Amino acid sequence: MASLKDIKRKIKSVKGTQKTTHAMKLVSSAKLKRAEELAKRSKTYAQKITEMIDEIALQIAKYNDVSDNIYFRKVENPSTVDIVFVTADKGLCGGFNSQTIKAVNTMIAEWSAKGAKVRLRAIGKKGIAYYRFNQMEMIDEIEGLSASPSYEEAAKFIRSCVNDYIEGKTDKVVVVHNGYVNMITQEIRVDNLVPVDPSNLPSEAQASSSELELEPDDDDTLLEALVHRYLEYVMYYALIDSLAAEHGARMQAMDAATTNAKEMVKSLTVQYNKARQEAITTELIEIISGVEALK
Amino acid sequence: MKTMKLEIVTPNGLIYEGDVKMVTLPGKEGEFGVLPEHASLVSLLETGVITVETADGKEIMIAINHGYVKVDENKVSCIVDGAVLISDEEGRLSERMAEAKELLQKAQTSDVAIAAAVSKVESIKKSY
Repeated sequence: MASLKDIKRKIKSVKGTQKTTHAMKLVSSAKLKRAEELAKRSKTYAQKITEMIDEIALQIAKYNDVSDNIYFRKVENPSTVDIVFVTADKGLCGGFNSQTIKAVNTMIAEWSAKGAKVRLRAIGKKGIAYYRFNQMEMIDEIEGLSASPSYEEAAKFIRSCVNDYIEGKTDKVVVVHNGYVNMITQEIRVDNLVPVDPSNLPSEAQASSSELELEPDDDDTLLEALVHRYLEYVMYYALIDSLAAEHGARMQAMDAATTNAKEMVKSLTVQYNKARQEAITTELIEIISGVEALK
Repeated sequence: MKTMKLEIVTPNGLIYEGDVKMVTLPGKEGEFGVLPEHASLVSLLETGVITVETADGKEIMIAINHGYVKVDENKVSCIVDGAVLISDEEGRLSERMAEAKELLQKAQTSDVAIAAAVSKVESIKKSY
């Protein structure tokens, strides 16, 4: 049986932890509000630009030969696949990071089974730490971007990746992140960045019945600029979405931790009172038996 | 009369969505109008003003700085960097106009295009 002093110390320590987790929950819920707002506003743009690119891809596939267009060509069996994944820089957010890592691992296994070489590009400390520990090579890693997403940084990051794609060093680029659904739910989202894959369009979507015209149509600069804009924005949105989800996950995890701490304090207090009662009883018996002995 | 869908989105959210009869867009190679059943087209948009004739016959103006538009038979989607809807909602017309002018003046294009767009915005005031 632990001594009274020990139990008291333990109660104090658990209460301290409870205070910390509670404070972290409050911080996360404040940050979540901001991140959520940002994610909501950017969502429409990200959705529309994806829809637009997908429609263009569908139309190009219908009227033109896609094989010579690097962004829209079909790759049946890619020999190299780049997986860009976003994790948080910080932990203490439940299964948030491990879910993403698990999804990435599944993808690595899938592509490897198909005979493709997988290259990893990591955003966020936690993912980097995991793959370093497992001694898996990452060709690009960046920290700090997932905690404070900036459009310029995101664009720079994806630019180097897309350049590899253009140079033929990789055949497919996929972005994986844990996205925000609502305050308490996150879901793994996978975007096939390049080549553009129009298959996610709703089935009722149809290619327009006329051939696509470009203006100004001197060369492919317009389409290329548009595609770059799309790639950058999808990357940036993945970061914002992931940040909102991270705060949501952390809030939930910290809430659970606070509740658990409360429970623990309760049961420890019961234990403490029992021990105290026991000590008093023992003392009383000792006194009484001492008095009896003197008689 | 036939109508088509118009969407104008910026990174800050949806600016306008609705059924329209006609849209006039500030294209890179000059202003152009789009009616329903237009052949599909992707174009670069310059700093300027999008004029919309809605399904119920009202005229709306939206100032934009730079972006892309994709037109097909029944939909026009504009993806722009910045846009201000100029409307008389809640009597905030002058406020909106000031916003629109600021957006246009900040745009990094030729002064001629900016001046043309600003004067177009100013002409709206007279029509209200």
